[in-house]
Amino acid sequence: MSVATQFCQRALDQWPGRIQTRQEARRSLCEIECGKEEVIEICAWLHRDADCGFAGLIVEELAADWELRYVFHASDAPGWVHVVLRGPLSEMVFPSISARVPAADWHEREAEDLFGLKFTGHPYLGDFILHNDAWQEALCPMRKRFDALKPVGHREPDPDWRPRRIVHAPGAFAMPIGPVFSGVTESAHFVLETVGEDVIRAFPRLFYNYRAVEKIAEQRSVDDVLLLAERFSATTAFAHALAFCQAAEQVAAIEVPGRGGALRVLLAELERVRHHAGAIQEICESTGLAVAASQAAILEEDLLRLSGAFCGHRYLFGVAAVGGLARDFFDGACKNCVGEAKAIGKRLDRLEEMLRASSSFLDRLEEVGSVANRDARSYSLVGPVARASGLARDLRKAQPYAGYGAFRFDVPRESEGDGYARLRVLFAEARQALRIMEQAAAEIPSGPVRASAARASSGAALGWVEAPRGATFHWLRIGESGVVERYRIVTPSFINWRGFHLAVENFAFQDFPIMLASFGLSATENDR
Amino acid sequence: MEIGTLLAVFCLLCGAGVVLALLVSDRRNPELLAWVGSAASLVLMLAAGQALFTDAAFHAELWTVPGVGALVVSIDRLSALFLIVTALVYFPVSIFTVGYMRRYAGHYSLRAFSVMYLGLFFSIALILAAGDVLLFLLAWEGMAILSYLLVNYEHEEERHARAGYRMLAMGEGGTLASAVALLLLAAAAGALDFASLKQSAGGLGDAQRWMVFLLSFFGFGVKAGLVPFNSWLPRAHPVAPGNVSAILSGVILNLGIYGIARVNMDILAPSSAVPGLIVLAVGAVSAFLGILYATTENDLKAMLAHSSIENMGIVTAGLGAGLVFIASAHPALAAIAFLAALYHMTNHSVYKALLFLGAAVVDSRAGTRDLDRLGGLIHRLPWTAFFFLVGALSISALPPFNGFASEWLTLQALLRSVELSSTAVKLVFVLSGAALALTAALAATCFVKAFAMGFLGMSRSRQAAAASETGRSMLAPMGILAVLCLLLGVLPTYVIPAIDRAVVPIAQASATEALVPPFFAASPEHSRLPAEFAAEFHDLGAQVGEDFAPGRGLVVLHRGGESNPVVFAMSTTYGFVMLAALLAVTAGLVRWLTRKRRVTRNTRWDGGVRRLLPEMTYTATGFSNPVRVVFNAVLRPRTVEDTRETVAEHFRTAIRRIRHDVHVMDRYVSAPATAAVIWIARTAARMHHGRINAYVAYVLLTLAAFLLVAAAF
Amino acid sequence: MSQWILRGLKTGIKTTPYPARAEESAGVSPGFPVTTNRPETEARALAARCPTAALRQVGDRVEVDYRRCVHCYRCLRGAEAPMNWEQGFERSTIKPGGAVLGAPFERSIHIRVVDAGDCGACLNEVRQLNNPYYNMHRLGFFITPTPRQADVLLVVGPVTDHMRLPLQKTYDAMPAPKCVMAVGACALSGGVFGPSFVAGSGVAGVIPVDVEVPGNPPPPLAILHGLLMAAGRK
Repeated sequence: MSVATQFCQRALDQWPGRIQTRQEARRSLCEIECGKEEVIEICAWLHRDADCGFAGLIVEELAADWELRYVFHASDAPGWVHVVLRGPLSEMVFPSISARVPAADWHEREAEDLFGLKFTGHPYLGDFILHNDAWQEALCPMRKRFDALKPVGHREPDPDWRPRRIVHAPGAFAMPIGPVFSGVTESAHFVLETVGEDVIRAFPRLFYNYRAVEKIAEQRSVDDVLLLAERFSATTAFAHALAFCQAAEQVAAIEVPGRGGALRVLLAELERVRHHAGAIQEICESTGLAVAASQAAILEEDLLRLSGAFCGHRYLFGVAAVGGLARDFFDGACKNCVGEAKAIGKRLDRLEEMLRASSSFLDRLEEVGSVANRDARSYSLVGPVARASGLARDLRKAQPYAGYGAFRFDVPRESEGDGYARLRVLFAEARQALRIMEQAAAEIPSGPVRASAARASSGAALGWVEAPRGATFHWLRIGESGVVERYRIVTPSFINWRGFHLAVENFAFQDFPIMLASFGLSATENDR
Repeated sequence: MEIGTLLAVFCLLCGAGVVLALLVSDRRNPELLAWVGSAASLVLMLAAGQALFTDAAFHAELWTVPGVGALVVSIDRLSALFLIVTALVYFPVSIFTVGYMRRYAGHYSLRAFSVMYLGLFFSIALILAAGDVLLFLLAWEGMAILSYLLVNYEHEEERHARAGYRMLAMGEGGTLASAVALLLLAAAAGALDFASLKQSAGGLGDAQRWMVFLLSFFGFGVKAGLVPFNSWLPRAHPVAPGNVSAILSGVILNLGIYGIARVNMDILAPSSAVPGLIVLAVGAVSAFLGILYATTENDLKAMLAHSSIENMGIVTAGLGAGLVFIASAHPALAAIAFLAALYHMTNHSVYKALLFLGAAVVDSRAGTRDLDRLGGLIHRLPWTAFFFLVGALSISALPPFNGFASEWLTLQALLRSVELSSTAVKLVFVLSGAALALTAALAATCFVKAFAMGFLGMSRSRQAAAASETGRSMLAPMGILAVLCLLLGVLPTYVIPAIDRAVVPIAQASATEALVPPFFAASPEHSRLPAEFAAEFHDLGAQVGEDFAPGRGLVVLHRGGESNPVVFAMSTTYGFVMLAALLAVTAGLVRWLTRKRRVTRNTRWDGGVRRLLPEMTYTATGFSNPVRVVFNAVLRPRTVEDTRETVAEHFRTAIRRIRHDVHVMDRYVSAPATAAVIWIARTAARMHHGRINAYVAYVLLTLAAFLLVAAAF
Repeated sequence: MSQWILRGLKTGIKTTPYPARAEESAGVSPGFPVTTNRPETEARALAARCPTAALRQVGDRVEVDYRRCVHCYRCLRGAEAPMNWEQGFERSTIKPGGAVLGAPFERSIHIRVVDAGDCGACLNEVRQLNNPYYNMHRLGFFITPTPRQADVLLVVGPVTDHMRLPLQKTYDAMPAPKCVMAVGACALSGGVFGPSFVAGSGVAGVIPVDVEVPGNPPPPLAILHGLLMAAGRK
């Protein structure tokens, strides 16, 4: 019995008569439709007892009612559970599940800020995406009636806004960092609460790079939205483009030909190695180990040039397309590319050996920014951050896509959850990515690289990819006329930024940049 | 005019002032007080100046008390120095009173204040001029009561009453101890006047010497604010009105030093080095603890109170070193040490009065004394900020101000311990010197914090943001004190001979000889300098200024002995001139080089935050936290609360941490002592249970006991 | 420590010969479409394929507005008559009305980088400028942490609404003379994101721009070219 069927069965057993289930075998999907009274229990059961990962909350304003879709996925076997809650458009109050499913915290805050929904029981709604000291309340830009292209004429920022203070101690103050701070960094604001020596608590204030990608995607053609998907977080452009294309292919029921799938895997893993080289470079630079940072930077630039030479663009723009790839590659070129990547991989291994032998470097990374396994699980963290804390979830293994099921590779896992563990995971993942690339390039199936032009179809589907920073989920609803009606992106940075606050309690101020670098979070990927 | 006449004028002024204060209306009283107070200070300064600088001394017997002895008024050079310092502080504070007392009009009686103020002045002068034990103790008690009344001026506040009471209680305990010491001396002499005490002090046995020393040192030490009996000081200062705090720190603490000096330096010279070592050690510990608590204190006046403890500790350490040198038969070194101590005492009175007046202005204008709620006052109170800065620089011992000269001399005096023979003594000196050096560093930290958090940055409260500068009547006294700070610092070669005149009778050696070589050719002792020495310093420019500056020279020189031929020289005069010249030249050069450039003013760079709020800037607590952490073993804060609040298991809503500092002396001395006294009182109170029969029994028992005793004798 | 020194020495010199000589390696630049002559119908078809109106049909020519090109490759892949493509990267221009620094800043300029809503790629390319391949320090370019010491303000991103004020403050905090460099398609024209209610249509809408570096993202060599232009050396 498939995992999805099991879930449906168990749900029906536990809440007989109060829910309705629907299965889609093709997508390994079990959809549970319930009411406001049961949603907290069901989600808590899935998150805690059934050990499902929480992918995200997707809010849609349909013609006549709200549809709140809580997406869960099984940890180690293909299977998705969508818990769907519907309510009339006039009723904008829903129960908050974040007390039992902490991973849903920021999803509900985003829904409140962008749609105006209220989640009872959530202690901190407001001042999330649209900052209260810049925008008025109740702007609700994601509502259908809001025109994204018109500038907002009347602005009413809150004149009494103050940063949220959690530390109450005589003489405590809140040191601000950013949004423009030293180094070539993305814009983000941090409030470090301290009484003078250690920083007791750090509170990030993000969404300075909010470009409302989900909103401007509406009413655009699928090809135009593919441009947005590629470019909103271009350091992992291919992964996001791939997730989007997979969602669109599911809606239109398009089968990607074998050659397209294999080349997609090759390109995705190439991007992963390049991203990890960059992440390692940032960690080395943050600890001040200049030679290692330069060595890693050389590797990153080599991989960027390799990507540029292979497909024309250093960040792999313009290669992914709905149905396969936008261009074909010669097999020989693929093999050359993989050969060069392996040579770079050897230098990466050598770098890892040398870093492991540098005790002063390790001193700065060990026991810095630790995230416990229990916390990683309750926040459903993803990517190298989660794997360093013992939570070895990988969508390539659990929910295989693009033919990953045929390749042999390991998912690295460490248990300390500190900066050094995350660094080791990055190196190990890069090695595994090269292993996959080798297997992919060894036997590329012949044939077309892209499925023939699909018939226009409508519907909604979820596309998912294990991006270099972690799992990313793209939900796409295409309307009758072939334009996008709803585009929801859950990025790995969005998920992991929520877990960042767990690591930044009681630390010395000079460790802050190291913590930031070791988490590898991207503010712009979070902000969309 | 003769000293006696001037003193009589002084008494008349004080008396007339008291009478007029009662007659004049409440509202006009501060003005009256300013006139009378300043006039009296000037008269007193003239009288004491004569006593110090000329060879005239004053000695007069007032009426004779039958069966006890004569009440003697005698002003020798030591008293004269203290009288000058007192008058130097009283003068500006009296002027300050005009503007400051307005806040109490209609609320508390200003007449009473004037009466008490002048009374206090009179009693302090009487203490310093007293020549016999009875007059001394009477005046001392008068001073204690009047200062208690003044500290408790805002008597309607509960907290003030407790602080004032503690001051009175501990003060009386100290008075008791010092009275016993004086009476021991009197018993040995058979008379009460200081001259007789001095004569017969040589005949005291060892045990008696020790008793007198311990009782007088710790007894007067309570008044001076020395460890371990200083817990009244940091409580009394914040509750007293601003001008009273200035008097308290600038004048009354000196009385404790006067008592110690009079008994242990003048009347009873030490025979062994151990008493001096005790004084030195207590001084060093007081200095260190004082500044440690000052650095971690956020209330401006409490911080200044702890700093007073520190400075008194430095003075005491100097006195202790001098006592050791006298006992080891090095009178020249003792003279240097005593000079350093008295110089520091003078400086402390001046800059502490300045700082307290500044704190009083801040308190009345910004409405709060909490450094965590001040800030940005340099724009609102520019002159006050400038004068406070002068005071802060002086107390941090930075050249060219006065604190530098006296601390330099103190440390130099301690360095001379190499010439002593006993290793144990040298060890105590070394440790004390190290403690004083650490104290100096912490003092700089403390006053950087005070000035920066109080005056610079953003205003942290609405009251601080709305403050406005005070009137000229309150700025002028601060200006006078600031100028004095500069002069005392820049002209050490004139101050040293002046103070030396008070030291010579005690140490039997002249510090001026050792410290101020006569480099000027016009000076009469110039010919006595060895030729190569003079030539060496001539090359260094030590004769600059000899054409227009009077005196011996402008360089303070400290030479080691024969076993230790090192030379330390400093000249704040030259330094000040060079500094001023350099600043002027640089400023002029910059102005000329940028004469054609455009200057744009812009707001501070804040990282692009939308609003920079005061709560995002450093607080005083944050600034001093590293000190708190390093000295945690001494401070041992009690954690009152350390909780984390979480909603729904993972939303952290609050982290609360409250830590409470208890002074180490309170923890080990005052609190146990108070607890013991209360225990004794409670136990004894068990007698008062109200049963008549038992009381009758007590009477019977007492009668029986007396009969027995009478029968035995 | 010695192992790092040896490693560094063994790696040798990786620095690009640019700007003294041309850089010939593969993968250093994605290139651009170039203005091409095509029959009018083809030209119109090509211009219609461009999602950001970077291609304009003028008679029988397709003109390229580099400031708008987002490298979607639609005019190259899948088009019947693909555009001519050129791998060069020296496409920075001085905006009309803009001023560069010139003497005495030619040999050394300090740069403050501000991310005003960038996608991450432009910022990453700016970061590569400090790696051994491009090594901008040898040309006298330094990144400063504070605008008070900066001569050039390098802005990436379309300027989101939340970053308008910080960008304005950064610009105001820089002392004159200063030069603003807008890097990337988003900073020049809003890219695919702007204008909208939260994203602007480029840096020029907030602060005056002097040097424009097109590309999505412009490769590090193009940014170097732009910096050389800002310094007045090109």
